Amino acid sequence: METNKHITIFHGPQHPGITGNMSVELDLIGETIQKATTHVGYLHRGFEKLVERRTVIQAFTIVCRICVPEPDPNEANFAMAVEELAGIEVSERVKYIRVMVLELSRLASQCMWLAGQSGSIGLYAVGQWAIADRDLILDLFEELTGGRVYHMYIYPGGVRRDLPDGFLRRLEKVLNHFKKRLKEYDNIFINNASFKSRAIGVGIVSPEECIKNGYVGQVLRGCGIEADVRKDAPYLVYDQLDFEVPTAQGGDVYARALVRRAEMDQSIHILEQVIDKMPEGEIMVKMPTHRKFKLPKNDTWVKVESSRGEFAYYMAGDGSEKIRRMQVRGPSLVHAFTLLEDLLVGAELSDVALIMNSLGICPPEIER
Amino acid sequence: MFATIKNRFATTDIEVKREDLYKVVVQRDAIFELIFMLREQYDYQTLNAITCCDWIEEEHFAITYILTTSDRKQSFMVQTMIGREDAQIDSLTHTFEQAEIMERDLHEMYGIDFPGNQNLVELSLENWVHTPPLRREFDTLEFVNNNLSFREGRDGNMDVKKEMKRLRALKKAQKAAAKKAKEEASEVSDGN
Repeated sequence: METNKHITIFHGPQHPGITGNMSVELDLIGETIQKATTHVGYLHRGFEKLVERRTVIQAFTIVCRICVPEPDPNEANFAMAVEELAGIEVSERVKYIRVMVLELSRLASQCMWLAGQSGSIGLYAVGQWAIADRDLILDLFEELTGGRVYHMYIYPGGVRRDLPDGFLRRLEKVLNHFKKRLKEYDNIFINNASFKSRAIGVGIVSPEECIKNGYVGQVLRGCGIEADVRKDAPYLVYDQLDFEVPTAQGGDVYARALVRRAEMDQSIHILEQVIDKMPEGEIMVKMPTHRKFKLPKNDTWVKVESSRGEFAYYMAGDGSEKIRRMQVRGPSLVHAFTLLEDLLVGAELSDVALIMNSLGICPPEIER
Repeated sequence: MFATIKNRFATTDIEVKREDLYKVVVQRDAIFELIFMLREQYDYQTLNAITCCDWIEEEHFAITYILTTSDRKQSFMVQTMIGREDAQIDSLTHTFEQAEIMERDLHEMYGIDFPGNQNLVELSLENWVHTPPLRREFDTLEFVNNNLSFREGRDGNMDVKKEMKRLRALKKAQKAAAKKAKEEASEVSDGN
């Protein structure tokens, strides 16, 4: 590199504009990025290895920690994979409760995104509002599961507790609050001229790249591709619920923001249907004790739609009470490397946080 | 599609796992031909993941390529076995760009070599010189005992089982004492 022309800096891991514990090494000329290299490893906790030492039910307690802002898709994937391998069929009520938890989790995670995305361009008031609104959902989680962030609720074979009395009424109240509040977010953030001027035309991805490289979630839908696991390969009871898959055109940061915002409306719509349709029934099938619960020698691949895109698990059993292999494939693995490293080339330094937040990268699911 | 795969790749190991998920196991030398065929003829355009499972007793790794159609309605698990000693399999980066990061991950965690992948550098682990950690022979507990030490002052909490046993005994004794006290109290009141 030419002396006195290039500069190399680290963006993160200690940086308010980074999405979690990771960093991007940037080669710059002036403010323009010439090369970006993603570095992870600051949060490696070895979940996939830890699972191998534990019984199936002991392993269940740690999978939620694989993604801090949105733990429930991990629990759902884990439970669905175990149930498929063990041939367990859960009741309709369990399926509806799981949908409710997953949609609440999606809504809470989108609030986190609102806070991060708005903070990345200095609109801090939006972030304060969004985190306060997310707390209303965390209150519901606390009542339902006992935990605000990590729930350990979607248990293989069912869910850990039934709904408390009056829970659905309180959920409805929170949803009504959100319906009013989301219009205010439109005014203060989505339609804000500052945000538009920073986000339109920045971080553009093409539909062809999305398909070829396996990009998921808002990256895909922001290119106009109507892709959502809940529609394409429905799980739980999503095929019985009415909802749309929002898309936008342009493939830029703004398109991804529009998609996320529209998804919040859809989550509320789904939750309202869940409240109306919640059936009666058992919340747990009869399971052997955790020391006697064994998975047959077989493998599978399960996936759910998280708030950031397709979230999948590979799981293999070997006939023992321990899982032979559990491999996590979150949206962030490819987004943080193949996509981010590509998108940042030619971008301005001030756009790094903006682009990263729009991709919804969560480092713990990369270094599981 | 299944008949073509069976005839062309001499395998009977094809399974419909779910309506949206198929699995096939083929010989290692045929796997890339099969992946190309699925991509070109059956629209499996996206590589979702490359997974590895260590079957140490059978001395091989099961490598699974998970492919999905462009409409994302069908997935296919294409699996092959490679030996654990000098484990290697050609890279898929020339066909799928995102394979680079997936192979890099498996290289670090299992020590598998992917000839053709130019970027098999460290990913999450820094200066790792021990056995690749996801191999079955790597024992996390043994590694911790050999390489890490407990902070001074925490030695007393090391044996969790012993501590649990002590707490259970303590609880039992407290319960017995409470019961005895209750009985004595009722005897006194009866006497009165």
